[in-house]
Amino acid sequence: MILGGIAGPAALVVAAVLAPAAVAGVLGRLLRASLLLTVPIALSVLAINVFFFPGGATVLLRIGPFAATAEGLSFATEVLARIGAISGAITLFYLTTPPAALVLDLERRGVSPRVTFVALASVQTVPAMVERAVTITAAQRARGLDTEGSIWRRVRGVLPLAGPVLLGSIGEVEERSMALEARGFTRPGRRTLLWSPPDSGRQRLARWLLVLSVPLLVAARAAGWLEWMT
Amino acid sequence: MPDLVLDAVSHVYARGDVRALDRVALRIGLGERVALIGQNGSGKTTLVRHLNGLLRPTEGRVLHDGVDVASRTVAQLARAVGLVFQDPDRQIFAGSVRVEVEFGPGNLGLRGVELQAAVDHALAAVGLEAEGRTNPYDLGAARRKLLAIASVLAMRTPVLVLDEPTTGQDLRGVEIVRRVIEEAQAAGRTVIAVSHDMEFVASAFDRVVVMRAGRILLDGPPASVFDESSWQALRSSYLEPPPAARIGARLGLGATPTDAALLSALAGSAQ
Amino acid sequence: MLALESVSYRYAGALRPSLHDISLELRDGEVLGLVGASESGKTTLCLVASGLAPRTVGGTLGGRLLLDGADAAPLAIHHLAGRVGIAFASPATQLSGVAGTVYEEVAFGPMNLGLPLPEVIARTDGALASLRIEALADRDPARLSGGQQQLVAIAGLLALAPAHLILDEPTAQLDPAGTAMVAEALARLAAEGASILVAEHKTDLLAGICARVALLDAGRVVLDGPAGEVLSDPRLPELGVAAPAAARLRRSARAAQLTGDALARLDGALA
Repeated sequence: MILGGIAGPAALVVAAVLAPAAVAGVLGRLLRASLLLTVPIALSVLAINVFFFPGGATVLLRIGPFAATAEGLSFATEVLARIGAISGAITLFYLTTPPAALVLDLERRGVSPRVTFVALASVQTVPAMVERAVTITAAQRARGLDTEGSIWRRVRGVLPLAGPVLLGSIGEVEERSMALEARGFTRPGRRTLLWSPPDSGRQRLARWLLVLSVPLLVAARAAGWLEWMT
Repeated sequence: MPDLVLDAVSHVYARGDVRALDRVALRIGLGERVALIGQNGSGKTTLVRHLNGLLRPTEGRVLHDGVDVASRTVAQLARAVGLVFQDPDRQIFAGSVRVEVEFGPGNLGLRGVELQAAVDHALAAVGLEAEGRTNPYDLGAARRKLLAIASVLAMRTPVLVLDEPTTGQDLRGVEIVRRVIEEAQAAGRTVIAVSHDMEFVASAFDRVVVMRAGRILLDGPPASVFDESSWQALRSSYLEPPPAARIGARLGLGATPTDAALLSALAGSAQ
Repeated sequence: MLALESVSYRYAGALRPSLHDISLELRDGEVLGLVGASESGKTTLCLVASGLAPRTVGGTLGGRLLLDGADAAPLAIHHLAGRVGIAFASPATQLSGVAGTVYEEVAFGPMNLGLPLPEVIARTDGALASLRIEALADRDPARLSGGQQQLVAIAGLLALAPAHLILDEPTAQLDPAGTAMVAEALARLAAEGASILVAEHKTDLLAGICARVALLDAGRVVLDGPAGEVLSDPRLPELGVAAPAAARLRRSARAAQLTGDALARLDGALA
């Protein structure tokens, strides 16, 4: 947004998204994921803007009553470049940061250990809950619960299926909390961390450059130095 | 009344290439009392889940009375084979003991007086007749296990399968399970149990099947499975013969899998 | 030393107390076994002895829990974490659920206590070594067998260097291999002078590791003495506890009126 036109966002994408991705070794996955995410949006953005851009005069193509204009195309590609930058950045973050690393680093910087615990435990409980749900379904089917019949029958099966999932989870939570408390989980204050994220001088430099570039670019735009991009 | 056959059954779980069952051939006749023993992962639980269709063979067939059960649903097979899961908390959903026990027979179509009779009988069999209105979670874990057994007993299936029925039970609980098995057999039902409790297995069952790595290692009456000649095979499965068998062997009295057998052998040898 | 002094305990919302006037001592370097029928109060006693009752569980405590002679009442649960460790029957619920490796899991306790990093590492290494599970350090705890998970849970407690360990039916959900693993580890800890209270139904296991045994009946201590004496007490079966095989066989042999000769042979084999 600060940088107008296409060249700006494109350069941004290369510097802040593609280059780090290449360094982290996730360039291929990043491109695949980003494309998958943005292709549907891209198609609709292109279609709408190319044909229906208000004030479009330079006609490139006519299909029936619809005219594709150069101004529309230019606008569409600008929008797409920005979307690409944003989605690329988000995907890069997701691909390079294991959840444990993020959460533990936050804890290192002062976030409460309880937050870390909730974040990490939530992910871990999912496979266990799924396995539990599968067993419960099997046990109730073995008692004649019909999971393959009419919709009315299946509705009647909700309580025998959902009941043990919830009740069992509650019971388990109780025992889990006892085990946690008995291991000092409720001690107030910070705890010792076994792990700290790998950080190098170059990474710190790159981070500072990226952060500082934002106010610098804003200032440059305000000073009118970036007109050549639009 | 079904006699159950596993005909060269193999089962490979979708996520891996581990053969949970490897060309297992097993025939269980009507009215038998069979115990399945083996380490966790030997295939015992996988095998019993084939009996009521919860799992289907990757290869081979499962037959009830000579008829392949591939086309029958689990709900249909539940009429023939009642399976009590190891963890009662994976099936309990009702607010009262009575409603919980009504679920199984209710699904099979029992109503009114017949249903109540089935429930009454099942509760009495496990000693919970006074707890009809109790919330299952007000019972301890051991009695919830007995409740799970009652809830399947009430279905009056010709075949009863119990997964680890004596785990966590005190002496009285084990006696109740023992009696349930005896009464089931007396009523002409087939009883199959998966168990880790070697003393219980030796005394409550006529036939012991030892499994390892998806295959049947030993299959016979307790006297032969727990005889000294089988000990190496048992130990390769991390199983120990019951104390009576070990003592009998130490005294050179032959196969004495149960306390009773040991004592009678001792009495006999003294003459 | 850990002692319960005239302890009674009632769960929140319960009509009757679960424990009545219990006085029991767990001395340093001693393994105390706890037996009793289901719902006789074994778990409740373990919860009181570890301080979880009433702190985490709620309820009302009468009498006192004494640690090294001082009343533990003013201590919060996290203060007790380093003095009394408690493990339960279910392996999976004892794992923190946030550790990617066994090492992190065992370090969880010391980390929570905010100990300096070198000490966290020393304690974790020590706990893994005590239980001989160093080889499991990099494994994912969720993928271990039940027996291995229990060992990891116990290691997690040892890392807190508690003066006393309380184990509530640690082998209840384990297969024979897992039970043997845990029993062996406990025997080793006992030999090294650990102070352990272990509640179990498996009296043969307790006979092997306990110096003393206490028997609970309806929330009261009915027997408390040397393991050999208590476990061969003839009242065990009527109090809902299965006697160990040796005691049981001796009693049955005498009841069957075997000849003195046969009895002597049996005795010889049981020794």
